[in-house]
Amino acid sequence: MPPAHQPPERPPLVELRQVHLSFGSNHVLKGIDLNVRKGDAVSIIGPSGSGKSTILRCINGLLTPERGEVVVGDTPVHALRTEAERIALRKRIGFVFQQYNLFPHLTVLENIVLAPVRILGVARETAEREARELLAKVRLADKIDAYPGQLSGGQQQRVAIARALAMHPELVLFDEVTSALDPETVGEVLSVIRQLVEDGMTCLLVTHEMRFAEEVSHEIVFTDGGEIVERGTPRDIFHAPRSPRTHAFINGLRN
Amino acid sequence: MPESWLRAFIAAGRTVGLNYAFLLDARERASWLRGIALTAELSVLTILCSLLVGIALAGLLTSGRPWLARPARAFVELMRNTPTLVQIYCAFFVLNMLLNQLVGGAQNNPLTAYAWAVIVLSTHYGAYHAEALRAGIEAVPRAMRESAISLGFSRRELLAHVELPLAFRFALPSLFNNFVDVVKSTTLASAIAVGEVTYASLMIWVERDNVLEMMILIFLVYGVLTLLVSRLGILLENRLRMPGYGH
Ligand SMILES: Nc1ncnc2c1ncn2[C@@H]1O[C@H](COP(=O)(O)OP(=O)(O)O)[C@@H](O)[C@H]1O
Ligand SMILES: [Mg+2]
Repeated sequence: MPPAHQPPERPPLVELRQVHLSFGSNHVLKGIDLNVRKGDAVSIIGPSGSGKSTILRCINGLLTPERGEVVVGDTPVHALRTEAERIALRKRIGFVFQQYNLFPHLTVLENIVLAPVRILGVARETAEREARELLAKVRLADKIDAYPGQLSGGQQQRVAIARALAMHPELVLFDEVTSALDPETVGEVLSVIRQLVEDGMTCLLVTHEMRFAEEVSHEIVFTDGGEIVERGTPRDIFHAPRSPRTHAFINGLRN
Repeated sequence: MPESWLRAFIAAGRTVGLNYAFLLDARERASWLRGIALTAELSVLTILCSLLVGIALAGLLTSGRPWLARPARAFVELMRNTPTLVQIYCAFFVLNMLLNQLVGGAQNNPLTAYAWAVIVLSTHYGAYHAEALRAGIEAVPRAMRESAISLGFSRRELLAHVELPLAFRFALPSLFNNFVDVVKSTTLASAIAVGEVTYASLMIWVERDNVLEMMILIFLVYGVLTLLVSRLGILLENRLRMPGYGH
């Protein structure tokens, strides 16, 4: 069950209103509405190709919707015009990808301190101290001098999470971060995310780990064909879905 | 001591019919040694400058901005599709003359034949490096680029901290291949009377009629220099190896 210590009315940190986006003639997002309140963990589930990654990319300005509004905090992301404005936004948003995407030529420590030092202008010593703390938190303190290529998938993904957290983001987006992992390393990554959620970090997750989503999320959003079909508490979505499409998807996974 | 070694070497040469007597002439020896030093210097300088040109051109080529990429592409094609010697002649006899007129006489022109050789060879080989680096940059996975951008990297920071370090590693074998070519191409500077080793040797053999002897030395000089460059390449390749990545 999600922690219930949050006051009921918290301001939304992320808000999408009627977001439309196409790739050529492929209408991928068909009017997405989404809210993530500060401190919440929201999971997006749905079949592959339903536009889940595209939603995340609209939130940090990697993609710009054709219509609709994307607001993060006070920032109207859909209206950002310059690269500098988008960079300012991205510094506030962590993004963890399926394929970890660590920099293979840098050690674990360098991977983590690069962005804080070069982009935020944090003093090197401060950045290194924080990197050590973050590595301890993801239980990889002993891998500080390893290169990404020397780590397992699960370890690389935990470094990628530490790298995102080193920027002190207000929000972290997770895009199927366990889908490329060996089954035995999935758990270690999920437990790091679970800890983050418990610490009150605002998280928006795209995931196929239904049991995990049910356990950590404050809200579940089911997407199909570029639309949000249904949203609700984990209990509602997983045990009493209203839409037959949600029902079919959940049951399809169970069998 | 070195004098007696030299005499022994010359005597040994004579027994097989090779005339290295110029080594005893202080003036000729000095100009020949200076030639070797100039060749080495020209090689190092041109390798460094051409690399800078290559990085700049590769940055333009992959900028994704047509108004930068198109002129850079045209420049690269021009450099690669005209003979190096012609470029050197063109620079020294045309551009240099124009520059002379511009600054009001050759005495005011800061650019020497040596400088022109460095400039032309650097831009020429810079075009080749640019192609190698561009291929390296394009080999950086899209997802890697996206994750750097998501961390807040600007286009320039992405290039400096992610794309170039990776591209440089991917392109290392091609780059060092080019560097070996750079060393060999310094001989072209002799065409505009830069006293590097080929030119210095030529000056000696027209006097002494010992072409074969000088040729052997020239081969040795370039052989040693190119060997050094390729050893350095292997050293660097090992040094920059990314543990666990694709090996
Ligand atoms: N960069 C892109 N260019 C063209 N089509 C894309 C691009 N990214 C995603 N798509 C298309 O958009 C649709 C939704 O993709 P995506 O958001 O990745 O779905 P999901 O993450 O739910 O699997 C798919 O049909 C995919 O082919
Ligand atoms: Mg996806």
